[in-house]
Amino acid sequence: MLLTKPHLSNSFLPSARRSNPAPSSSHVKPLPVSAPPRRGLRISATSAEAPAAPTAAAAAAALSRVDVLSEALPFIQRFKGKTVVVKYGGAAMKSPELQSSVIRDLVLLSCVGLRPVLVHGGGPEINSWLLRVGVEPQFRNGLRVTDALTMEVVEMVLVGKVNKHLVSLINLAGGTAVGLCGKDARLITARPSPNAAALGFVGEVARVDATVLHPIIASGHIPVIATVAADETGQAYNINADTAAGEIAAAVGAEKLLLLTDVSGILADRNDPGSLVKEIDIAGVRQMVADGKVAGGMIPKVECCVRALAQGVHTASIIDGRVPHSLLLEILTDEESVEVHQ
Amino acid sequence: LRCLWLVSGYLPESEFYKIEAILRYNVQIGLGVMQGLLELGIRGVTVSDVRGFGSQGGSTERHEGSEFSEDTFITKVKMEIVVCKEQVEAVVDKIIEKARTGEIGDGKIFLIPVSDVIRIRTGERGKQAERMTGGLSDRLSSVVSIS
Repeated sequence: MLLTKPHLSNSFLPSARRSNPAPSSSHVKPLPVSAPPRRGLRISATSAEAPAAPTAAAAAAALSRVDVLSEALPFIQRFKGKTVVVKYGGAAMKSPELQSSVIRDLVLLSCVGLRPVLVHGGGPEINSWLLRVGVEPQFRNGLRVTDALTMEVVEMVLVGKVNKHLVSLINLAGGTAVGLCGKDARLITARPSPNAAALGFVGEVARVDATVLHPIIASGHIPVIATVAADETGQAYNINADTAAGEIAAAVGAEKLLLLTDVSGILADRNDPGSLVKEIDIAGVRQMVADGKVAGGMIPKVECCVRALAQGVHTASIIDGRVPHSLLLEILTDEESVEVHQ
Repeated sequence: LRCLWLVSGYLPESEFYKIEAILRYNVQIGLGVMQGLLELGIRGVTVSDVRGFGSQGGSTERHEGSEFSEDTFITKVKMEIVVCKEQVEAVVDKIIEKARTGEIGDGKIFLIPVSDVIRIRTGERGKQAERMTGGLSDRLSSVVSIS
């Protein structure tokens, strides 16, 4: 048990503190003159190896770490207790380094008091398993054709493999995750999308019932949701993860919706890479879409953000998932990717 | 601001109109509308929680992630503002500017002629009663010269 706590003064300059003179104690080691003075004396109940004297570099790193934490305080206070829905996909899901960075960020957010909800896609895995089963993946205008057999494989891969893999990663990182799909507790009820005749079992969100998420979130667990859902007759559909994330965010009353993508955002002037739009309101972003300034693949994401905002989500952001710690940058600093608000 | 001192030309004609806006139950939007109205100089608003539906030929409205059509009432906000006929257009434009999202369920505004306005505390009637200190009428009268 500590009798004296290391004390951090406001200026973060370690003031010279008098350690208790205890020449007989083997815990106190004489410090080299060049190192910064020790912050205090730690006395523990059982004897342990005396730690090596902190080098100047390690001490500086420790100072910068607590500096950063202290700067994050206003953001942590603003969002403490608030629910944040993160849609996870793209490069951030494929590269192991980025993957572990996102998972660690999620667990960190959970530890500081935010309530993250993870929604995921999983396209690349589906293709490789379809080939293993002997089915050639088919696409029409960039959208996957999902017949009955493909739907079975999609469900198995998304719900059984990708979902549980993410749950496991979160558990390993120190959080606790619960993996769900749309079918669980009728979280999402699907209906066939208008182009189902051509594309097969591709669905839209008809209804969201977030009842099952509340006890999970309240007890400090992180829900991980695969966007496979059934319609009224029990037929399984694959639902676009961005869309589903937006509707789930609306249903749980989330403070923020974050979509991780592989682009850095929308350019106000397409010839000027420095003209990245950081913050915009609904009317503004609709104008940009009308002006043709939003690339094809981004339009559904932007529309999903607007729908979420209309239903009460406070901010919807499109984040570059290729940047390490993009989640933390978005939530705990003033650095923003594209943030759409009312 | 448009030419507010011109006659607005609504029928039936009246000195005052009540602007009744049925809006989304969305806190951010509500605050945005209120802020916009305050900037405009509107100093008196009545707000109530109501429920309603208004379907658009089969298209559904999304509320908390789920789709709704004719058979379910959804929570809405009703905002009632009584102003002089000259101020109606500005207030209507401001509400639309702040409350429009482009999604089904943005709401509707109704204009209702009002015969008279009476202040309970003083007994004033008419324009005296409608006028609020520091409000839009005061701002306009300092701008408009009566020739």
